[in-house]
Amino acid sequence: MTSAHRGPRTAWRAAPAGLLATPALAWIALFFVAPVGLVFWYSLGRKPGLYQTHANDVLTLDRYREALGDTFMTSFAGTLRIGLAGTALCLAIGLPFAYWLAVKVRPHRRFVVLALVLVPFWTNFLIRTIGWQVVLSPEGFASRALQSLGVTDAPFSMLFTRGAVLLGVVYNYLPMMILPLYVALDRIDGSLREASKDLGANRWRTMAQVTLPLARPGIAAGLLLVFIPLMGDYVTAAVLGGARGTMVGQLVASQFQQAQNWALGSAMAVVLILVIAVTILATALAGAVCTWLLTRRRRSELAGLAEGSPA
Amino acid sequence: MSGSPTQPAVTSVRRADAGEGSGSVELRSISKSFGGVTVVKELDLSVRPGEFLSLLGPSGCGKTTTLRMLAGFEQPDSGEVLISGAAVQHLPPHKRDVNTVFQSYALFPHMSVAANIAYGLRQRRGIDRAEIRSRVSEALDMVQMTRFADRRPSRLSGGQQQRVALARALVNRPSVLLLDEPLGALDRKLREDMQVELKLLQSRLGTTFIFVTHDQEEALSMSDRVAVMLDGRIEQIADPYTVYERPATAFVAGFIGQQNFLPGTPADGGRAIEIDGGTIHPGEPVTTPGPVRVAVRPEAVRVAETPPAEPANALPGTVAAVSLLGDVLQYVVHADAGHELLARVPRRQAGRLAEGARVWCSWAPADVHVFPAEATPRDSTRDSTRDPIGSAK
Repeated sequence: MTSAHRGPRTAWRAAPAGLLATPALAWIALFFVAPVGLVFWYSLGRKPGLYQTHANDVLTLDRYREALGDTFMTSFAGTLRIGLAGTALCLAIGLPFAYWLAVKVRPHRRFVVLALVLVPFWTNFLIRTIGWQVVLSPEGFASRALQSLGVTDAPFSMLFTRGAVLLGVVYNYLPMMILPLYVALDRIDGSLREASKDLGANRWRTMAQVTLPLARPGIAAGLLLVFIPLMGDYVTAAVLGGARGTMVGQLVASQFQQAQNWALGSAMAVVLILVIAVTILATALAGAVCTWLLTRRRRSELAGLAEGSPA
Repeated sequence: MSGSPTQPAVTSVRRADAGEGSGSVELRSISKSFGGVTVVKELDLSVRPGEFLSLLGPSGCGKTTTLRMLAGFEQPDSGEVLISGAAVQHLPPHKRDVNTVFQSYALFPHMSVAANIAYGLRQRRGIDRAEIRSRVSEALDMVQMTRFADRRPSRLSGGQQQRVALARALVNRPSVLLLDEPLGALDRKLREDMQVELKLLQSRLGTTFIFVTHDQEEALSMSDRVAVMLDGRIEQIADPYTVYERPATAFVAGFIGQQNFLPGTPADGGRAIEIDGGTIHPGEPVTTPGPVRVAVRPEAVRVAETPPAEPANALPGTVAAVSLLGDVLQYVVHADAGHELLARVPRRQAGRLAEGARVWCSWAPADVHVFPAEATPRDSTRDSTRDPIGSAK
């Protein structure tokens, strides 16, 4: 039965459901889709002369050939290694912490611990990273501490090593891993863990069969939130890794700024985007396949019970 | 919800190893406190194999904590927990031969109904696939959920989830099944159906059931014995009939069903009790010295427009309210001496008296229970579900 007269309220209800998302969609279209499209367009062009940054008079894939040269590939491999290792380290450190925070810490203290997790964000990202330079330099705190403990006898520098980059990366991105993991673990009803133990599973089996599968959305969010910005980050690597820490982001930036070659820079950026996308898809696929393999026995064992087929 | 009494699946679910003492539960002087607050105080409890025992009490009485100590989720501060004769207080939950049906059901949302039920069997060694499959199939059959085997729990109704939780626990053939207010989330009609089914299931399986509830009707209708708890102690443990008819304390009297409480003083060597506006004769002489509380059940109170033949145990008054509670009429009578009396009369038996009518309330000496005055029954113990007009003080 349709109403004879529609007030303003019903008119509002009849508005398309997407209306609420319009501001966000407009923002994304204007400041994300359009610039990425532009970058893709530039990547098909060339740098016509010394004083021009780009031209699209001839469309070519030559910039991609240039982008995939040796220098780029080397730092690309390094970037991917840092990205994967950094993300894995953040997960390895963040998961036990988030579990502890969500399960073991008393509810009224969780807020305090969460606030402590966020304290580093109160200082500028660059300043925090430069702070590590002081700590890691040969005359720095870390070196002196190791010397006084007798681990080394000479001044020792961790600065400008891969280890320093990894340390800085984990330091900067760990909260981005902890927060979604905490939210996911906190949402799992404690009685589910109790039910699992009640049914005969010890704590590790409970973790593997109940807690982690239910925390999967949080794990995925944490991995994405760390991996994606990390792949584009070059400040941490430049400050703590020096020349050895050259990341792809740095190469892209230098093409746009120092070399003024927007075409090549764009091609590099597109390659970076593609590699990130492929890595994420591959990880998701691997996760899905693992889950499928792990639950295959369970499914085959119980298949067809609903039809009442005999065992 | 048919609860059909004969089902072939059940016989093989029945515990095969029902040997001597298997399924017995004993708590010896168990105490537990949380942050300085003692929740369970030196509690002793002994449950026979195959018994259906209810732990009944208001919230905060320690009944759920007691159950959680049996399951192993809480460790007692002192005392011993024995299951099937063996001390288990130091064993973690996964090593105890008990299973729990949780109040929230706690079904695993990422698994199908069948996988939920199979979970406990998978944790054990020495059960092959074919056995898991056949036992899951039996358990599904037992709770009539076979056609929902592949569903996720989120797509089931509350009653269906409840059945899955029951099957998931019973498929492991535990010596003792612990039930933590499992029917609390169901609507009334479904809850009553499930009460009957649970009771039938329990007597078919012969498994010891320990059932925690705050609903006295539920406890009375299902249990072999009821343990009424208050402040971490058992006030009375007895069969439902005794608990109802012969409450051991004023608290039990007030918590189980409803009571009219009248303050009074013993006289004539305990053969009479003086109350405001009259004298009450108890069935047996009162031995309690000092002030007492007289308890009379509403269904024991007769309401008539003429004074009873025997003048004892009668109070004149005025009908203040009448309400129909299904098959009984409930009267609230303001006695002339100031008491407010609740009376319940079978609807077909008596003609209906109007509000404002002058009446006599009377009851037999055998229906009088007397308790020491200092024990105050709690207000919260009124059965609000049965009492649409509120409680009489």
